[in-house]
Amino acid sequence: MKRAEYKIPGGKLLSTELVVEGDRMVGVKITGDFFMHPETSIIDLEKALDGIHTADLEDTVKRFFKENDVTLFGIHVEDFVKVVRMALES
Amino acid sequence: MKETWRLIDMRIEDAPTQMAIDEAIAMARLKENTPNTVRLYRWNPSAVSIGYFQGIEKEVNLPACEKYGVDVIRRITGGGAVYHDYNGEITYSLVAPEADPKMPADILESYELICGAIANGLATLGVDAEFKPVNDIVAGGKKISGNAQTRRHGVVLQHGTVLVDTDIRRMFQVLRVSDAKISDKLIKAVEDRVTNLRRYLGRQVGFDEARAALLKGFEDTFDVSLEPGELTDAENRLVKQLHEKYSSREWVFQR
Repeated sequence: MKRAEYKIPGGKLLSTELVVEGDRMVGVKITGDFFMHPETSIIDLEKALDGIHTADLEDTVKRFFKENDVTLFGIHVEDFVKVVRMALES
Repeated sequence: MKETWRLIDMRIEDAPTQMAIDEAIAMARLKENTPNTVRLYRWNPSAVSIGYFQGIEKEVNLPACEKYGVDVIRRITGGGAVYHDYNGEITYSLVAPEADPKMPADILESYELICGAIANGLATLGVDAEFKPVNDIVAGGKKISGNAQTRRHGVVLQHGTVLVDTDIRRMFQVLRVSDAKISDKLIKAVEDRVTNLRRYLGRQVGFDEARAALLKGFEDTFDVSLEPGELTDAENRLVKQLHEKYSSREWVFQR
């Protein structure tokens, strides 16, 4: 299990845990005290990341927020990429 | 003639009921054409509420909650963990349509406005409080209120905590702030960051006094009269359904 915690500039905390299997990531969980609505989008984001090639992280996250009508507050799209990348590199 | 909003005044309920009422009011607002609503409420038993996205094991000391009879609940809103001390905290909630002329479309501006109502209310008690992005209200540089907003069903729902005389020691027994033992040193560090009305003003502040101040803050800020009312039958039916969700292990322990 790989984990990372990232303090977003401005104060919110973002954490992730995931498992790397070969060159893919599975079981990605994202937690924290940020704001995102609709809130259930987090489940869809985790699903979108499940099983992807680790090299596709940034494209997958960016595509997810482009294709879905999600409002972020206290957090930016790049923060999700950053925390997952930190976990992958841990 | 001032616009009238509904006030659901100081209901004392358990955690699942409080969260069910907030969500029910938001769900009913446009569908049932209910009025804009402000609630003030207290939690009995005392409870920890965590943000929608938070990991429960990571944020909450569950054995301590069990030991002290503190409920644990997950909110529909994001944000952080809050200790709702029955003897020292007031929670508010506000529901209004996103399209309401008094409600800014911009999320940050709407936080600023609603948190401004709280700050204006506290000012009547002599507290110099101000909104601090992302979602806090501070007095003398210390946090006195945390707030959380969501937008769904075409409405804005914001709820937040106002610390009146919170038991800070208990707060940090039930919240996992640090794995370190709750030492006097940690309490001191916490006291440097968090305050409450009693500590800030250096005197006891009763719930009635705090309540009146907060109501005035809402009325002045939104230029409305708050008229005491009750939940509608439709809302009460929703509360009953939602209570089940909020009481369920699937909901509370989902992450």
